Amino acid sequence: MTETFTAAQQEAGRHSVEPLLRAEALTKYFPITKGIIFQKEVAAVHAVESVDFEIYPGETLGLVGESGCGKSTTARLITKLIPLTSGKIWFEGEDISKMNNRQIRPLRREMQMIFQDPYASLNPRKTVGTIIGTPFKIHKTEGDTKRRVQDLMDRVGLNPEHYNRYPHEFSGGQRQRIGVARALALRPKLIICDEPVSALDVSIQAQILNLLEDLQSEFSLTYLFISHDLGVVRHISDRIAVMYLGRIVELADAVDLYDNPKHPYTASLLSAVPKGYEAAGAALTQRITLTGDVPSPIDPPSGCPFHPRCPKARIVSGSDTEVPENCKNDMPPFGQLGTDHYAACWYPAGEGDDLQEAAHA
Amino acid sequence: MAQGEVLLEVKDLHVHFPTPDGVVKAVDGLSFTVHRGETFGIVGESGSGKSVTNLTALGLINLKSAHVTGEINFLGRDLLKLDKEELRKVRGKDLAMIFQDPFACLHPFYRVGDQIVEAILCHDDVPKRQATDRTVELLAAVGIPRPRERFRDYPHQYSGGMRQRAMIAMALVHNPALLIADEPTTALDVTVQAQILELIEKVKNDFNIGVILITHDLGVIADVAQTVMVMYAGKGMEIGGRDVLFTNPLHPYTWGLLESIPNVTQKGTRLVPIEGSPPSLINVPPGCPFHPRCPHRFDPCDKEVPELMDRGGGHPEACHLSAEDKKRLWSQRQERRVTVPAAS
Repeated sequence: MTETFTAAQQEAGRHSVEPLLRAEALTKYFPITKGIIFQKEVAAVHAVESVDFEIYPGETLGLVGESGCGKSTTARLITKLIPLTSGKIWFEGEDISKMNNRQIRPLRREMQMIFQDPYASLNPRKTVGTIIGTPFKIHKTEGDTKRRVQDLMDRVGLNPEHYNRYPHEFSGGQRQRIGVARALALRPKLIICDEPVSALDVSIQAQILNLLEDLQSEFSLTYLFISHDLGVVRHISDRIAVMYLGRIVELADAVDLYDNPKHPYTASLLSAVPKGYEAAGAALTQRITLTGDVPSPIDPPSGCPFHPRCPKARIVSGSDTEVPENCKNDMPPFGQLGTDHYAACWYPAGEGDDLQEAAHA
Repeated sequence: MAQGEVLLEVKDLHVHFPTPDGVVKAVDGLSFTVHRGETFGIVGESGSGKSVTNLTALGLINLKSAHVTGEINFLGRDLLKLDKEELRKVRGKDLAMIFQDPFACLHPFYRVGDQIVEAILCHDDVPKRQATDRTVELLAAVGIPRPRERFRDYPHQYSGGMRQRAMIAMALVHNPALLIADEPTTALDVTVQAQILELIEKVKNDFNIGVILITHDLGVIADVAQTVMVMYAGKGMEIGGRDVLFTNPLHPYTWGLLESIPNVTQKGTRLVPIEGSPPSLINVPPGCPFHPRCPHRFDPCDKEVPELMDRGGGHPEACHLSAEDKKRLWSQRQERRVTVPAAS
């Protein structure tokens, strides 16, 4: 990162800096309909439910959670690829939630996306030059497109001479570089990376992560980085939001979140990650294994969505089958528990909680 | 690390697929041994031959389109010499397998319970009633709640984790000696992955079997495997006990892999990726297959194929460097890793 946005300055100045993007009570329901002619809505998938967050210029906000928790839907909502059910989004102080497609188009230059699957997100019948050059064409920018595309290719580590090749002629890592170049073409302010390294092998994954970091410092980019891989998210993020069943349950500084998780879900998620060689052996014994599966987002549990699986609720109630009344009935508020550390939990995890024991009981 | 009897012994296995573009050397001179009571982890990037090795052991590759040499001795018999009928008696009985995608492995039109019953009746001539009871027992053993009711469910009514549990139950019906798990948790979320890994560990201990765990995730390997083999371009690069392999790795490829993983427990160091991409298996580089990407390559690397053997480092590896050089280079790389600051 450039001098403008060192981590320390960001820490100090976060509250004085205007956020690049702010989402307030972001909600998305996907209706489930019945009937052929008269479609009536019988239920709705609560994909994203009143999510609030801010992204500050120059930072990387990580968004983690298990599949189906609403990470990608959140990304699609803030880029306005799908309409909101309710809620508001401000981009650089401008309310974009009510804008129609034509009004939003100029803003798309500022917000770009990198997708998970570099095979599916590149048109197999277009050359790389065309793919990377398309943003210039759509936004009718001046200048020599070919030269600019080749500059971009060079910048992301592709050979500019491969301008006329097709996507199938590249390896997985190279294809993801094409996706990065395309996102970078219009010099956006915000890049939303939706699982950009999940489909890649570890050695290639590291190359792409390093590339993203280098580009961030070179072009002062802001990232929203979505991944289910907690190691990757920790590596790249300044702050991290943890999602569960459509809600952000915890949001904190990356280091703080990993060292000192407050929400029992975050704690068990972190403990479930294989710790790798540096903690080999110790990991299995320290794991908090959650029982059961993530509940259906069509009919999310009342109160705190995590209460049916929560080990902490069982400690509080002192019984393996009971959970406290407020966990069952009321959604906990998103409370501040430390400097820039927020969690939505009635009984945030503290020192000395034996969550592991409670989960196994 | 070596405990119990030898279950599976693979000797100098070659699996080559002739194609119009050339011969794909998917497995090229691979040898390893798996013991009872041990989890043997095979780790490598995509296309390194992990899955082909095990599909060959199970007789699941088309022998008409592949050229296979070497030996796969399982409980004293060479699986490669068995005919189809004999192999069918071993497969699913003493040798069981679970796959990556549990949804693709269960037939969507049949009830989960009936599919497991079918697996029992394939090898055992028992009354259906008894097979049903055994199935319910196994579903309970792998942690499916209300097994008698869930017996009658279809696969789509199961979650991903439960499907993988059902697959494990199906693999266990005949008390196999060896369970091959090919990326069993790759399609699952981390919290469910933790449940399944714990289940495999429990099953291994309860049934006293051997497990071959194939994965690309070094974290998973570090958690559950006792012995680890690192594969690259169809060859074994290094075989060692989990603890020695992660604390004292000897092969530059293993070093590269370990340095590429972003760490959950610490932040701040810049990743050190392996340069370049894995080779095409049609055009495997001469000599050591890793040499074009290896920062420590020297004279014989591009000419002589290094043998997988102990060069004084404590466990077998395939790298021409001497044990002293390896020790020196690895400690240098670790120092560098600590001192290189992250970009952010």
